[in-house]
Amino acid sequence: MMKTLRAAGIAAVLCLIWPLASAHAATTFESNYTYDAWGNVKRSPPAFELVDTLDSRDMEPIKVGSFDDVFVSEDRIFVADATESRISVFDAQLRFAASIKLIRDGAGKIMVSEATGKQLMLTNPEGVFYSEASEELYIADTGAERIVVLDGMTYAFKRTIERPENMVGATLFKPSKLVVDKNGKISVVVQGSYEGIIEIQPDGSFSRYFGLNKPRVDLADFFWKSLASSQQKEKMKKLFAPSFNNISIDAEGLIYATTFDPSAQNKVFRFNSKGENILVQNGYFPVMGDLTRVTGQESQFVDIAVSDYGVYALLDKTMGRVFLYNFEGDIMNVFNSIGNLKGNVKEPTSIAWFGDRLILLDRQFGSASVFQPTEFGAAALEAEKQYFNGNWKAAGGAYLDTLERNANYDIAYTGVGRNLLMQDEFDEAMYYTKLGNSRGYYSQAFAEYRNLFIQHHFLWFVLVFVAFAVLLFYSEYRYNRKTG
Amino acid sequence: MTGIVEDGKSMLRVLFHPFDGFYEVKFLGKRNFALATIIMLLCGLTGILSYQYTGFILNYFPLFEMNSIALFVTTLFPFLLFLLSNWSVTTLFDGNGTIGDIYIVLSYALLPKLAFDLAGIALSNVVTQEEAGLLQAFTAIGTVWFAFLLFCGLTVTHEYSALVNIVTLAASCASAVLILFLSMLYFTLIGKVVGFVYAVFLELSKRW
Repeated sequence: MMKTLRAAGIAAVLCLIWPLASAHAATTFESNYTYDAWGNVKRSPPAFELVDTLDSRDMEPIKVGSFDDVFVSEDRIFVADATESRISVFDAQLRFAASIKLIRDGAGKIMVSEATGKQLMLTNPEGVFYSEASEELYIADTGAERIVVLDGMTYAFKRTIERPENMVGATLFKPSKLVVDKNGKISVVVQGSYEGIIEIQPDGSFSRYFGLNKPRVDLADFFWKSLASSQQKEKMKKLFAPSFNNISIDAEGLIYATTFDPSAQNKVFRFNSKGENILVQNGYFPVMGDLTRVTGQESQFVDIAVSDYGVYALLDKTMGRVFLYNFEGDIMNVFNSIGNLKGNVKEPTSIAWFGDRLILLDRQFGSASVFQPTEFGAAALEAEKQYFNGNWKAAGGAYLDTLERNANYDIAYTGVGRNLLMQDEFDEAMYYTKLGNSRGYYSQAFAEYRNLFIQHHFLWFVLVFVAFAVLLFYSEYRYNRKTG
Repeated sequence: MTGIVEDGKSMLRVLFHPFDGFYEVKFLGKRNFALATIIMLLCGLTGILSYQYTGFILNYFPLFEMNSIALFVTTLFPFLLFLLSNWSVTTLFDGNGTIGDIYIVLSYALLPKLAFDLAGIALSNVVTQEEAGLLQAFTAIGTVWFAFLLFCGLTVTHEYSALVNIVTLAASCASAVLILFLSMLYFTLIGKVVGFVYAVFLELSKRW
């Protein structure tokens, strides 16, 4: 009897200690989630939903090879088709407007190259950019190793930018993606270049390589290298800086870039003018997409879309996810996946903002999907917009709105708490910031709350202090009287 | 009852006069296993309390998946492992302490750590993020005190010189790792054997 009791006891203890097996949404078919502070997957309503697709049916009779890059200007959408060597232009209503393959001059005649006598034609262009400031269309004509600049309205030839004479380094001039800032300075990404982003002056001369992409340090490698002689070191495999694969520019003219090189330390970059990464990463985790320990594979970002209010969307090719981050680096939402459902992707290539909507390009499907914010997504974007523009009060209201649609949304709890903190409602602010897991703001609210508490109960603190002092004096007095 | 009060007094004496105190505890027979066990259990309890009641600013634990029994065990486990490894090493190094002596030394030495940890838990509820460093320094006092008492106590109870004691402490760390390794090996093997027997049983029960 005693023995069975003991055995039962031990069994009970074992059962309590045993870790509970749990299922993660990220490893199932669920594709709408966020991560909480401990890296657990939390369900979340999607922030975006499919509204429209754009594919060859919209562009009869033009053949579609692949969709490789998209750029959205104020009133038009430009799509680069590297397989068919074509730039397709759509208007804001997603109606097909024009297609550029052969380059024409101002009079509408097809340009002929003076050197070869052949027609000037795009050759596998992988990137396209429209400059609002100069009303010029920049095409990264990858196959022909040049940048073609066309007039923004008539698409007539303006100039080409070949490999600059004064360019240094080992990088081949095969422009893949490019952005142009307000002053006409061109930043070009070449796939596989370890020297960084090429910066070209408006006059076409080489300026510098730009952007610091640090490789991860392998401790074992480091150890052996520290022992090796310089001759041995020469024979060792060289560690090159990881290359960038895509680039974007925000309203302030700061350059964002992504890399999916597995040896890179960071995956997403926001560069200051010195080329250092100043991306804000105050979220629960660095900006890295899925957590490897949850999904088992790293996210690989192929493109980034930056909005005017700090929210950026990252397109991941391992699981076909779109990660929505706010300016602080908090993960707002994850949606979409690789698959065969409408709106899903096979080989995603590019993403861009289209107002508050997002356009997603897929190379294999040869189609673009247009996503619009859901009720939750619209509220969340509105809140970030208001907060980014400094309208604290409106932001607080919008965050409350968001909470009604998604109770797992930590950013909104923090947002509401932050707003309450600014209105000196410390008690409430503590409640919300605690729910939002924001220790910094909680601490600020708590410090104020504690100050008020001490002010209101100051008498008690004084009384305790006086009682303590009296006790001390009395014991000294008694001790001295006893011992004389 | 008076016995326990007397033993408690000598336990408190240990805190400020470790060498004399531990000498009395060991050689004048003032040790009390009930007191020692209570301290140990309280330490386990502190592990649970610190998980649950550390103030939000300093508490990064996922409270929703708290398991108090596992916490209790994981808090006490290192101490018990040390007890075992130190005992097994010092028997080889001519130490004069029995496992009971080491247990007493360990648990008496834990008293300041216990007190400072409990105070730390209470204070963590009234500090801000800027003051967190100070609080950590404060609780570190308890840990340093514990290490000091443990060192003195082991020297006294094993009748070692300081140098030999350092050597045995290093050796007990190594043996702790060894114990962990062997026990893991043992449990995996036992698991395999059990699995095998169970598979045979399953096979047989399916046939007949």
